Amino acid sequence: MTNHRNLFELKQSDPYKHGYFALTLSLALSVILLLSSYNMSEQSWRTGVLGLTVLYGLTTLIQLMIMICLRQDILTTGKLQRRTLLLAYIQLPTILVGNVFTASFAFSLIKKQPTINYTFAYYLFMTDLLVIGITAFNLFKPYVSNSFIVSIGILLGLLITDLIVIILIAKQGCHLGNHKKRYQWLVFFLVMTSLTGNLFRLILAYSLWLQVARQDQATVDNWQFFWQRLTRSFTAMIGLLFITIILSLSITSVGTFVSSFATANNYGAMLTDPSLIHPFGTDNFGRDVFSRIIYGARISLIVGLLTTLIPMVIGGLLGAISGYFQDAIDQVIMRILDVLYAIPGVLLAIAIIAAFGSNTINLIIALSIGAIPTYARTMRANILMVRNLDYIEAAKALGDSDWIILFKHAIPNAFAPMIVRATLTIGSAVIATSSLSFLGLGVEPHIPEWGNILKIGSAYLETEPYLAIFPGLAIILLVLSFNFLGDGLRDALDPKLK
Amino acid sequence: MPNRIRSQALVNGYRMTKSHPILKWVIGLVGLPVHAIASIFYLKQKRALDYQAILRQELAELKHSALNQQLRQEYVSQYEQKQQYFKRPLDEQERERVVNQQIDQRLMKVAEQQLADRSIRAVRYQDVFQSLLRSQVFVLSTFIPGLLLYSLLLIYQNAFSRFIFERIMMTFFVIIAVIVIVFTILYISPSDAAANILGESATMDQRMAFNRQYGLDQPYLVQLWQAIKGILSFDLGHSFTGNEVIMTSITNRFPVTLTLAISSLVFAIIIAIPIGIVSAAKTNSFWDYSFMFIALIGLSIPSFWQGLIFILTFSIRWGILPSAYSPQDYLSLVMPVIVLGTGLAAAIARMTRSSVLEVMHEDYMITAKAKGLSSRQIFLYHGLRNAWVPIITVIGLQFGVMLGGASVTEKVFNISGLGSYIVDKQFIPDIPAILAGVVYIAIAISVVNLVVDLFYALLNPRIRSQMKGN
Repeated sequence: MTNHRNLFELKQSDPYKHGYFALTLSLALSVILLLSSYNMSEQSWRTGVLGLTVLYGLTTLIQLMIMICLRQDILTTGKLQRRTLLLAYIQLPTILVGNVFTASFAFSLIKKQPTINYTFAYYLFMTDLLVIGITAFNLFKPYVSNSFIVSIGILLGLLITDLIVIILIAKQGCHLGNHKKRYQWLVFFLVMTSLTGNLFRLILAYSLWLQVARQDQATVDNWQFFWQRLTRSFTAMIGLLFITIILSLSITSVGTFVSSFATANNYGAMLTDPSLIHPFGTDNFGRDVFSRIIYGARISLIVGLLTTLIPMVIGGLLGAISGYFQDAIDQVIMRILDVLYAIPGVLLAIAIIAAFGSNTINLIIALSIGAIPTYARTMRANILMVRNLDYIEAAKALGDSDWIILFKHAIPNAFAPMIVRATLTIGSAVIATSSLSFLGLGVEPHIPEWGNILKIGSAYLETEPYLAIFPGLAIILLVLSFNFLGDGLRDALDPKLK
Repeated sequence: MPNRIRSQALVNGYRMTKSHPILKWVIGLVGLPVHAIASIFYLKQKRALDYQAILRQELAELKHSALNQQLRQEYVSQYEQKQQYFKRPLDEQERERVVNQQIDQRLMKVAEQQLADRSIRAVRYQDVFQSLLRSQVFVLSTFIPGLLLYSLLLIYQNAFSRFIFERIMMTFFVIIAVIVIVFTILYISPSDAAANILGESATMDQRMAFNRQYGLDQPYLVQLWQAIKGILSFDLGHSFTGNEVIMTSITNRFPVTLTLAISSLVFAIIIAIPIGIVSAAKTNSFWDYSFMFIALIGLSIPSFWQGLIFILTFSIRWGILPSAYSPQDYLSLVMPVIVLGTGLAAAIARMTRSSVLEVMHEDYMITAKAKGLSSRQIFLYHGLRNAWVPIITVIGLQFGVMLGGASVTEKVFNISGLGSYIVDKQFIPDIPAILAGVVYIAIAISVVNLVVDLFYALLNPRIRSQMKGN
């Protein structure tokens, strides 16, 4: 009987699910690395990739051992044994080879009851470490930028403080105790240093601030409940991690990357194969594809965010108005939006770009207009649900004007699905941007945007396929991250669960 | 009997439309000739019966009856009690005014009721018109001027035909509005078409001649009307460059795009629905996680990249599939269909899973279980049958996205479809060709959505009963 219950517990336990997922993914990564370490055309092994394969194989093996131990622990005693913990500590350094799946699993395993602050702290650390790791590839270049030493120094310093923060928070437990003053300074420090683009720092700072500033307990509970649900979804957190890394890279690359590697022609190194100097090779003008992809991330993120924010604000407002005031206004707004909805987004964008010329601003406008109707429909549906609830009635009875009710009560309560929709559509906005650039209708060709890099790569598909493969992988990873995060947010914000 | 039903149908339709704020006016406008004839009947009947005079006489009689006195006493005491309760002073004049007013109102009602008992009613236009609609002779004799009115009334007497008619009208409105929007976007373009096509060296006269040839010197509304007329009558004249008839190019290319889109749709449905069902049937299993992981990757892959990787793998490395499309070779359709269908398949698989999962928790599933059906029977006959409505909706919506996105896939595989035509023309920019391409694809999507809507309105029992309830 107990055994049966333990088996059920095993299947329900989050660490086991996460571990299983991490195991599957690192196994898959090892296999992919193994396949790509053999050069088929030259019948030889690539030693660098082979070494990485061995490292990944090793992490997979340790992960397998952890899983076996974990299974035994849960089935027999229901508690983690020392050897499992020891293995988890061994697994921690896998972050150094970039295996975020096993590393984050190990981090969550070594603390008995991981609080959300602890989770933020180790994700914060992993982000900084990976950003430094990716930036470190610049060391193999003939020269680095003037501000490289200073920037990387700051980043390394932050990395050390990250470790201190992890230890501090791991020891602290759920309650802050008498050190409120100290935590206030920590919050201040975290907010200031989140300028590197590390979102986890901002989230952790807010979370600590909520506890320090003696907020309304309901707000604290809501916040904790939401993050507990979101952190339970491993894929959503990995998605958030990758988005944060990209964001952080696109901010820190100002100081750490040399822009001329990405944009200036270098006829001495045209179409070279991937190597340590040029991790993703160089294109037909001798430009470093690795630097170009890092610079492209900035454009993809900006365009993706703007083409989500603009229609979210306009569409949300139109949808809210038509849902709240109904009848004549509703009919007029929604029928006009129906017409916009009938034209596929890409075609509308093509028509707008044909009329006004192809550049980044026009691309953003074109994609934004096409996305307005979906947001308006989402918002309208939510407002329709909310507008008959008691608190709206109460606000009306108190004599608030319609506009105040709409902005203070209706929209905030109908906003959660908009966030989910926005997260899910940033991905398609990124795809649309790169698709249009690939067709030559988007971002100007000289700007290193991912679609533009791919366009060049597609011309050398036969001889230098890596030129097309790497930017494509970057797009997929970013879009996949947004989709994972969106799915996680949808589950975490699901009103049915409250 | 059938005649009776039909005449009753007209009246039902009339009543239905009368309660609608906009339709009321439309019906009035459309039926103007019939209303003119009917108002002659109305005036005649009204003259024959002077209702107001009879009513006045009846009222005068009532004023002198005992009822009047009785009412007066009643209302006076009511008024006084009220003032007392609210501690207000009694005012003779005000009392008289209130009481008289109440008595008049009450007596009027009594008088009307007494007349109605003797089956004397005021001649109202609505009644006259409705009784005329019932008479077969009237309808037949005003058939030609009232054709529009009668067909509208017949459509509106039935919830089904009403839904279909409104949906078709809506589609028509959307199509016209799409033409207006796309034309306006292209019209307000800051670039000068004549300068683009003829080059900077062209003289002013040459540009004027170009503008005259394509009607670009006309005012906005005239050009817009020409565009709407051209698109609806499938005659769009010549494109700016290459001296090609636009309609011929489009009719050559549209079937290619349509073949591609429909094959992708079929491919996606065949792949996605079983995957979605398996995932839903075995929730949280290894297969469920894997399938949904792959589906999310499918949603995240840019189609042009997928196309390039396919060409790299299957055409360049392995050499088993041709990399460019040719109409005679069916093998060359395989890669484009898979590439175009991937996103669609991913969306359908996810929707199928969530839709089936949602249905599984409905009350009727528990009922079915309580009846003793096997879980297989429950799943097939109750689960799937109810889960397909959202799936069809997603398919309809995604089909539009796919037709729009086809241009990218067509460019990658060098397919001469409508999408790549628009992209090619965009670079010139050849305004009439772009307009035609975009609008015809939008029309195709609207028509598909119309068909999907009608299809499941007719087949979905829930929507059907909802309409009957109205």
